[in-house]
Amino acid sequence: MIKFPGTNADLDVVWVLRNVVSLDASVVWFKEFKGKSYDAIVLPGGFSYGDWLRAGAIAARSKVIDEVIDASSNGVPILGICNGFQILTEAGLLPGALITNDSGKFLCKWVKVRVKRPRGPWLKLAYDDMTVDMPIAHGEGRYYIDSEVEHSPVIKYYGHNPNGSLFDIAGIASNDGLVMGLMPHPERAAEPELVPTGYTAGGLVVWRSLATSLKEGW
Amino acid sequence: MPLSIDEISAIREILGREPTKVEAYMFEAQWSEHCSYKSSKHYLRLLPTKGKDVIIGPGRDAPAVKVFNNYAVVFKIESHNHPSAVDPYNGASTGVGGIVRDILTLGAKPIALLDLLFLGEPNDSYANWLIRGVVKGISDYGNRIGVPVVAGMTWFDKSYNTYPLVNVACVGVVELSKLLNNTPKAGDLIVIVGNSTGRDGVLGSSFASKPLEDDSNNIAAVQVGNPLIEKLLIDALNDAVSKGCVKYIKDLGGGGLTTAVSEITAEYELGAVVELNSLHVREDDMRPEEIIVSESQERMLIVTSKEQLQGLISVLEMYDLQYSVIGYLDSSKVIRIYYRGELVAEVPSSELARPQIKLWDVEVPEEHSSLSKELSVPKVTNFKDALLKLISSPNVASKEWVYSQYDYEVGVRTVVKPGYGDAAVLRLIEVDTYSGIAVKGDGNPRYTSIDPFRGAANAVGECFRNLVSVGSTPIAIVDELNAGNPEKPEKYWYFTQMVKGVSWMAQELNIPVVGGKVSFYNEDLSNATEVKPVTTIVGVGVINDIRKSQTLNLKHVGNYVLVVGVTYPELGGGELLYRYFSIEAGEVPLPRPSTELLNGSYVRRLIDFGYAASVHDVSLGGIAVALTEMCIKGRKGVYVDLKNVPERGCELQDLLFSETQGRYVVEVRREVLNKALEVAHDLGVHVGVLGVVSSGDILFRYSNVDVLEADVDELHEAYENALSKSIEG
Repeated sequence: MIKFPGTNADLDVVWVLRNVVSLDASVVWFKEFKGKSYDAIVLPGGFSYGDWLRAGAIAARSKVIDEVIDASSNGVPILGICNGFQILTEAGLLPGALITNDSGKFLCKWVKVRVKRPRGPWLKLAYDDMTVDMPIAHGEGRYYIDSEVEHSPVIKYYGHNPNGSLFDIAGIASNDGLVMGLMPHPERAAEPELVPTGYTAGGLVVWRSLATSLKEGW
Repeated sequence: MPLSIDEISAIREILGREPTKVEAYMFEAQWSEHCSYKSSKHYLRLLPTKGKDVIIGPGRDAPAVKVFNNYAVVFKIESHNHPSAVDPYNGASTGVGGIVRDILTLGAKPIALLDLLFLGEPNDSYANWLIRGVVKGISDYGNRIGVPVVAGMTWFDKSYNTYPLVNVACVGVVELSKLLNNTPKAGDLIVIVGNSTGRDGVLGSSFASKPLEDDSNNIAAVQVGNPLIEKLLIDALNDAVSKGCVKYIKDLGGGGLTTAVSEITAEYELGAVVELNSLHVREDDMRPEEIIVSESQERMLIVTSKEQLQGLISVLEMYDLQYSVIGYLDSSKVIRIYYRGELVAEVPSSELARPQIKLWDVEVPEEHSSLSKELSVPKVTNFKDALLKLISSPNVASKEWVYSQYDYEVGVRTVVKPGYGDAAVLRLIEVDTYSGIAVKGDGNPRYTSIDPFRGAANAVGECFRNLVSVGSTPIAIVDELNAGNPEKPEKYWYFTQMVKGVSWMAQELNIPVVGGKVSFYNEDLSNATEVKPVTTIVGVGVINDIRKSQTLNLKHVGNYVLVVGVTYPELGGGELLYRYFSIEAGEVPLPRPSTELLNGSYVRRLIDFGYAASVHDVSLGGIAVALTEMCIKGRKGVYVDLKNVPERGCELQDLLFSETQGRYVVEVRREVLNKALEVAHDLGVHVGVLGVVSSGDILFRYSNVDVLEADVDELHEAYENALSKSIEG
């Protein structure tokens, strides 16, 4: 877990990795991060640098991102959640951009999303058109891209598009699925105790996929 | 409020000379109502503050209560009414910042925020601007610091159209062995950490200690927040505390450096030497008197020993936080302030922290007896119409427009989320997987403006019920008393009655009031509006197993619905009179502490035994509204016979809409109805089997006569959308 000033979901992801899927995980302050030492990297949610300028913009230009890019070219799985997704698009590791919700307001809400063309370490156990429940919590989550995504794995809002994202896109991965960004929070939907009536612990598929992939490959 | 002539001569007497300019500023800040509690101290002594689990009571920046043997819950409430009236966005957001820092002072990790908002009518354009600004301020600040806003309340009333009341509370948790409860000693260093000191909020506490006037001159007294620095403070202080390089922490809040230094030195009978020139400031030309009373946000005072200093500095530098070692504590009992080497203030610490207690005259206002007398209540002609009006009342309707702007999930603790239960339930993952707490805040300005004693007592009662409804055992509360100008006898009366109401009810319920805050001068002179006084209560309960916590949505068709408690004809001050007849008067429902205790213990038993499937307390709009909310949230219908409601002297509309205290609606699993009734019989609790959960409409009957039938989808639509429609237009 790379922690920037203002990152706030780092310990949440660590909790789930350790307690739900029994993976070893730790939080690393961005200045101290060395890419080569980790089997997988998560950029957790929060407000890096207080969202000054644009969400994720400053963190994406910090030196640590070069390390992340290096790691990704060496085949290390990378997941950006919420602000982490914003950082990945700002850094050019994933296509598109995330702009202010069409309501103009921050929105925290449980949503349903559908997985399309799952592959790679983060979606190994998912199947095509699988419906997954997770909460979103963002002010700048409206995904913007020039044309429909044809080949890479994507995750789309299902039933209701909460923020005006183009093509209902809630998350997207690189072609091989190695680098993935998600606006919904899989770490908040990985334990039954935290799931409200009418939803299921959809985020689990992401963490179980990672645990399996790290053991068996993907 | 500027110092009075008496106070100025008292200062001359203390010093034996004229005060210097810096000293005058220090006394004005420290002796302001906001910092000194001079008009409330005498009455606050009435509150029961002790309990077997209370580790730290009132007096420090925040109190601490023991939970699960080895942990403490630290929680506190604060108001930011004056600043929010002038600048709703910054006023509300800095309120959040301030209350979070109070929690940090005991070494606790902040895990939840609550907001209690008293806002104007959404269709008033100015009020609408205030509403949006306040909510956005809390949203932007709370979200950025990663502390979830999980509960609270929102109330809409004309009396807040130009002057909202913004109360915020924060809850933290700390292992007992890490709780910062040390005694600072002579020789310890004073370190200021965080934001640089600027000219914002200069004498802000003094500004908050007088009525709001034409606001053009007030803007400099409002502080501006920086949530990124606050987030770094949270992370760095949690780190520094766990590394043991901090002895004592104080927030630089109201009164700034003056209050922080004077309270520490007075409390521990110490003195201090401070060099203001050592402090990191925003502007080079700041005068010493500005520095000493500035209320710039995100600053904290840390007391540390010389040995601990290096450890502290390395933590602060890792987070890129600015800091200054500005002086040290000594045993002189005198605060000496230097600026560029020159002594600019020399004040006995105990005297600065001990303003003259004010005991203002009290007079029962004329309107009180006419407002609160028994009414002959008009008759509702169309019950369905009344129910629809109530369900779509902004005070009753879904508050999703508000809470969906808050990240209530961060922290992976929020088990019962906003909109799902009577209180929020959070798991304490530091204790173990299933231990948790419930938190909730309540207040009813209509009750308190008609009858402040009953209104305040009922706020305690409602908070108690909300905590019970989700399956917790209430352990402590904090209170915020929002009142008018204490110098006016008929305004001061509301304050005194509210304190007495809280004190009496808390004592009867055997629940300690471990801390709180008083906000006076909530008046808008530029508008001549009466700002309704209100007492808000925030409570904490413990839950041994969060898997047993209850939500309010009906679960299964065929389950029984019970009403717990006797209903009396108590429509006075209620939502029905207000929404249906535009009456804001009448005898406010009687607080019933012994009933609260008995019925509460019954409901907790139903939950512990696994008999309950959903629970909701009865409050605004009575049984009809409580049951309708359960139907809406569960997307179920219900078939009810009102004849089975235990009651005394009620007419039909009382059975539906009375706001009698101490009652609950509980959905009981079909197969355990008789067992549930047996428990009630054994305890001597009055229970009625209201009816059965259905898949159809909401149908209220009395014997064989239909009273009210409504389509759940129609009510759902009204309930879910009323507030966002009225705000967004």
